[in-house]
Parts: sequence; C-alpha cells; structure tokens
Amino acid sequence: MKTFSIGSRRRQEAQIKNCRWPMADGRFKQRGFGGVILFFTLLFAANLFAADLAADFSSANELYAKGKFADAAAAYGKILQTGASSPALLFNAGNAEFKAGHLGRAIAAYRRAELLAPRDLDLRQNLKFVRNQVPGAAQAESHWPSWAGALTLDEGAVLTAVAFWLTLALFTARQLRPALGPKLKTATRVGVALTLGLGTVLGLQAANHFASATAVVTADNATARSGPFDDAQSVFTSRDGAELSVLDRRDGWVQVATSAGKSGWLPLNQAEVLPGA
Amino acid sequence: MRFSLKTLAALWLAAWFTGAAYAASFTVSLDRDAMTLGEQATLSLKFEGVQPPDAPGMPGIAGLQFQYIGPSSSFSFINGQTTSSTTYNYIVTAQHDGEFTIPGMRTTIGGQQLSSQPLKLVVNKTSAPSAAEVNSGNEPAFMKFVFPKTKIYVGEPVVGRLEVYLRDDVQNFSSFQLSGSPTDGFNAGKTAELQNQRRRVQVGNHVYTVIPLAVPLTAVRTGPLTLGPFTGGAVVVLPAPEQGGDPFGFFNRGEQKQVALATESFNVESLPLPVANQPANFTGVIGDFTLAATAGPTNVIVGDPITVRVQISGRGALDAVTLPSADAWRNFKIYPPTTKLEASDQFGFQGTKTFEQIISPQNSDVHELPALTFAFFNPDDGQYHTLTQAAVPLTVQAAAASPMPAVAANKNAAPENQPPQDISPVKETLGTLSPPKIPLVAQPLFLAAQSLPVLAFLAAFTWRRRLEHLANNPRLRRRRAVAQLVRDGLPDLKKFAAENRADEFFALLFRLLQEQLGERLDCPATAITENVIDEHALLRGVPNATRETLRELFQLCNQARYAPVRGTGELNLVVAKFEKTVAELQEVKT
Repeated sequence: MKTFSIGSRRRQEAQIKNCRWPMADGRFKQRGFGGVILFFTLLFAANLFAADLAADFSSANELYAKGKFADAAAAYGKILQTGASSPALLFNAGNAEFKAGHLGRAIAAYRRAELLAPRDLDLRQNLKFVRNQVPGAAQAESHWPSWAGALTLDEGAVLTAVAFWLTLALFTARQLRPALGPKLKTATRVGVALTLGLGTVLGLQAANHFASATAVVTADNATARSGPFDDAQSVFTSRDGAELSVLDRRDGWVQVATSAGKSGWLPLNQAEVLPGA
Repeated sequence: MRFSLKTLAALWLAAWFTGAAYAASFTVSLDRDAMTLGEQATLSLKFEGVQPPDAPGMPGIAGLQFQYIGPSSSFSFINGQTTSSTTYNYIVTAQHDGEFTIPGMRTTIGGQQLSSQPLKLVVNKTSAPSAAEVNSGNEPAFMKFVFPKTKIYVGEPVVGRLEVYLRDDVQNFSSFQLSGSPTDGFNAGKTAELQNQRRRVQVGNHVYTVIPLAVPLTAVRTGPLTLGPFTGGAVVVLPAPEQGGDPFGFFNRGEQKQVALATESFNVESLPLPVANQPANFTGVIGDFTLAATAGPTNVIVGDPITVRVQISGRGALDAVTLPSADAWRNFKIYPPTTKLEASDQFGFQGTKTFEQIISPQNSDVHELPALTFAFFNPDDGQYHTLTQAAVPLTVQAAAASPMPAVAANKNAAPENQPPQDISPVKETLGTLSPPKIPLVAQPLFLAAQSLPVLAFLAAFTWRRRLEHLANNPRLRRRRAVAQLVRDGLPDLKKFAAENRADEFFALLFRLLQEQLGERLDCPATAITENVIDEHALLRGVPNATRETLRELFQLCNQARYAPVRGTGELNLVVAKFEKTVAELQEVKT
C-alpha cells in the first residue's frame, strides 16, 4: 500500500493543476509521451508504406511502358495484395491485363475501379473498349440511368444523409420557431423532394450493389456445369471476359446465368465475382 | 380374435411403408459386356424404392464418354407388394479399344447409403473392311479417308475428306460419331459435312450414297506423318427379314443395326519450308494470295489521321496473315490496327483478310506513305513470292497553319463517328490509397446516426405540443404554477419554522393557502378567506377532516397577528398539516 505525505500530495495536485508531468510514479508522463511516440511512429510507418507502394507503382508503370504487360500486371497485382487500392492502381492493372491478353481480368479490374471512380472518362472508355473485344459477349442493356451511376455508393449515402439532416433540421426549426414556418415552407418542400429523390436512388444503388453480383469469366472457354462438382455435365461454355449474373455460391463454385437465361456452375478459379455497380 | 376394418387398413399401410422403406436398392448394368470401337452401349442406373432428386453425374473414365439420354420409371403392385423404380440411361461410347472398368458408384438418398458393383466393358478394335468385302456388297456402310496430297509443307493447310458410304437399302442413318481421329503431327480443325456434295457411286453390284466430311488439317511437324485410321460408329436402319403376309413390304419398318466404321491409315510426307530465297519479311504465311491497299485522305495537316486499308485475299493459312511490316513508317504515329476476316469457305482457308490502320504524320517532311510488301510461300509451285503495293504520295501541311485536329487536342475524344483504336494509357500517379471498406449504408454507426435528426425533431415536436396545450388551458397553467409555488414555498416554510420566524412563516402560509384554494375554486387568490370553506360547494364535498384542518390553518394565521411567538416544533407540525391538506386538495376534482 502506498502512502503520501501531505506535502507530496499538495505538490502533486499543483503539478496536475499546472499540467506538469509526474503524478504519483511517473507513469502518466511515460504513457502520454509513449502515446505521442506511437502516433508519430505509426504516421511515419504509414508514410513509408505509401512511399513503398508508390515506388512499386512506378516500377510497374515502367514494365508496362517497356511492353512487359504480364510482368506489369503481376506487379500491380502484388500491390493490390497488400490490401491497398486506388482507382489509378486498378485502372493500370486493367490496362496491363488487357494488353497481356486477359480480357476477363481486365474487365474485373476496371469494374472494381469504377466502384471507386465512376466518373473517370478514361476508365469508362477503356472498359467499353475491352468489352467490345470479348467475342460474342452480348452486353446486357442497363436499365440504370447513367447519371445515377455517376455516384459511388458512399457518395450517394452522404448526399442523401445531408439532404435528410437538412430537411429534418428545417422541420425542427419550424417546431421551435413557428413564426419561421411560412418562410421555411419552400425550403422544406425542396428538402423533402430532394431527400425522397436521393433516397430512392440510394435504395436502388444499394439493391444493385448488394443483390446484383456479377461474375466475370477469367478463363478461356470456361465450362459451366449442371452442378457444383467437376463430374457434372457441361451446360455451356463462356469466353474469357463474359459477364454473367450470379445466382448462388457454394464451396468454391458460383452459379451463373447468361443473358439468354442459361444457368450453370463455374469454379471460382475461372471467374471473378464482383458486387453490383 | 377380431380386427376392425380400420385396424386392418392401418396394418396394411404400415406394412406397405415398411416394405417400401426396406426395398431401396441401386443397381448399375450395361446392355452388353463387349462391343466394337464405334459402337455404343447403354448403361442403366436403376433405383428401386427411392427416387434420387436428379440424374446422377457419371464418373470420369479416360477413354469412355457418357451421354445422358433420359429416365424411365416403373411401378408394380403384385400380391400386395408394391415396387417402384426409376432408371437413368446413358449412352456409352469408347474413344479407343481396350478393357474398361466402370467403378462401383455410391450415392446417399434420404439418408440411405446405396452402392453398386463395378462393371467391365471390353472394346474391340475396328478395322477397315477389305476391298473384297466392300465389293461383295455385304457392308451396309463403310468409310474411306481421302487426302489430296502425299507431300505437303509444314504449316500448309489442306482439307482431307472422310467419305461415309451407305448402301442403297439403308433406310436411315443416324447417331454418327467419330471415336478415333489420329492426326498426330497435324493441327486438326472441326470436322464438318461438305454441303451439297453428296453423290451416288456404284461399288460392286450395289449403289452407295457417299456423304463427304471435311477434315481441315495443317501439318505442324516435318517428316513422315500418318493420318488415321479414323474410326467411328453409326446406327443404320435396314429392311427387316421377310415375315410373310406382306408381299409388298408396306409394313416393313426395318430393323436398327449398329455399324462400326474404320478407314485405312494414310501416310504423308511433311516437308520443311525451303531456306533458299526466303524473303527477309517472310512471316510464315503459306498459300496463294493477292494484295491491295488504299489510304486516305492524302492531303492532311500534321497530326491528322489517315486510314490505311490493306486487303490480302486468297487461299491458305489466313489466320497467320499479319499486317505487312511498317518499319519504314517512322514519321508516323501508328495506332493498333483492326482486323476483319471474311472467309469464303467454312474452314477459313480461303477468303479476304482486311486490316484497317489509323496513322498520323508527325511532321510536314512526310511526302509519301511508304510502299507495303507482303511475302508468302506458295506450296503449289514451291516458291516464295513477294507482293508490293507502291508508295502513296501525301501532302502534309504544318500544323501551325490550321487549328489542331480534335484527335490531338483531347486524348479522350475519338475521331468523330470512329470508335477508339486502343485503350487510354496508364495513369502516372497512384492517387489516394484506401483499404477495402464496407459501404456506409451497411455500417451500423452510419445508420444509427440517421436517427439523431429524427429524435431532435420528435423532441421539438413534443415540446411544441406541450406549449400549445398549456396555452389553450389557463386553468391547467394556473394549477401547474400554483403547484410550483407550493413546492417552492415549502422549503421556505420549513426554514422559517427552523429559525422560529413566526411572522414570515404565517404570512407565507396564508398566501400559499390562498393561492392553492383560489386555484381549486377558480377565483382570485386575494378573495380567499376562511369563509369559503363552508360557502363553496366544491369544498363542501371534501372530507370533514380536511375542512377542519383548513379552518385550523386559517385560524392559526389570524391568531399569529396577535398571539405570542410559537416555538419551532409547533411550526413544524403546522408545516406537516399544510403539506397533507394541500395534497388532499390537489386530489379534489374540479
């Protein structure tokens, strides 16, 4: 049990009041200082990590410039394996995969980039170009208006939340200050309309994102089978780059459907599953 | 001992279900133990007493192919014993001769483990019938392989012909399948029937219909090569033997017969391409071709796109044809070409390959589009040939004289009405890195945060309603105000009692009584005196004890003006009485 003299306690209280360091045994000082060191160490490590990735990215770009597309694709893939991701990284990975002849992987990379940067014109153009290279792949007509696809899901969520908060702030203000009611009437109506509109778009976006997964075929002539096992009968084959609707998943297999209504099971090593746009 | 009808029926049903439950079995059988290569056997998977949800998948056996043809079901009720079975049938074809084992199969249906015994199938080799056998007319069908050359060059595309001969009395020919196509050293394309080329020939004493099938072949190795023997099988329908009673054969529907087909092997010498006189720009194209090229526009400014269209037509390996070398186009920016192949035969060995390339001159010193050359080897004459398209004169003006063309002004904008020729280049900066994250709409914190403005609004709404309610009810407002006044006054009363300040104590007590009674009786507080206790109808309804206490309190207040000072204990008793009385008054319904 630790005891303190009155003098030492007064000194401690004075030190605390004056924001000086040692409390009883110096632990607060060490902990606070250690926290600062930890913070700056983590910051430094994060910067070093980002600098490393930037250097790897430049190296991959150099490989691409030299025409070593497969090596460049592997280099971009290595960066992606660290868990870091950016629209530019995915875009370049898509370019390298396309130039290396992997249409499916290119489309998958572009579509992942599109989730992060839906308004990137280069990205849209490249995705369209690569899709056109897929032989016999009928691109399903999208019923999704182009302006709705110009927002990421998070951007849509933030916009809707802002409109929602503003609208309810207006309603709250009208309750607190009824005299403001006539003045805020138009603004409230606009807020309600905006919230409803953005909310509807967000709902559709979320439904599309979570419920409409797509499988992009990444193997040449991938064989879809009638069941999720290797001995099952072949139902149809799909070319590299074909984009198919995902119906179900089971133990390393994914059930897909073509736009013509045929369905079958593909092993996951022959397709990459993406969330909806 | 007697059984009721219900008891008998229940016993019968129990016996039926029990029988059905224990009769589950699974057997696998072949309709034959041996067959000739090209023939087909039928494999049956029979389930008795159970019903699998779907046709079982067959195990993979090297050299055997299984084709599911459908199920059949049966149901029987004999001597009170009910049996039901479902049989799944598969056609079995062999790809080579030998002895095959179909392993025992296991399946679990409705929690029951079922298994079958392994089966053996012997597939005997097929051999081509001899000339004597063919000429005898005993063969209802046979097959020949015809190859147009005995010497070919490596890489030269040649179409071989498989000819299936059908005797005149064959009523139907179906289920033709090639089981063996040995083409070692060749790259073989898809076998297809040559349309509109069926013919009839006399072989021995019989007339045969010849069905020609094309086998596109390209030698990929030099040296002696062997094609075939090709083997296959088919089902033919032949007239059934005479049964009597049908002299004209009107009712003779024929009988089916499986026939095995085989050809002789064919030896070919594959020659290497000659090294002598091989042009420097030869890229390995073999065949016989012509070259045509156009370019336009020819009057441009620096950076303007020029479309060069090159057409190579002829017979040969069109797949291998590439755009003639453009090494001399150093002063041009070259975009990747687009390619279109228009084949005039079904194998892609004859037709036109069109290349369309966009180029743009980089400076005004360019005066011509350099000549194009295309080299190929013609196997017919064994010579290399080089085709040349003459240079095309160009007029290129400096860019400063006119505005920059759209293609140079904006890297994203493609020339009008023209699709982009290639993908956009890679991005130089990595941009902001972010780890994969859950979308906001799926984050509980984000969703919970959306309830905050709703709660704020509900609080404001409730507050507003309360205010309005009070504003519309003055008695309620007064009741609340008086209750508050009494709550605030009680501590003061206790304080005055504790300090023995009787004057202030009774003054406050009298005021609180007036306010409380005034609120209860809905009249001004200043109008309240002791008399209202007996006069007012409302107070006549309260218990006598309460009224007495009220009267006592009023009298104490009056006496305080002239009575001697009381002690703290007595004042505290008064406070207790006041509290009790006020509580009772507040309970009175007005």
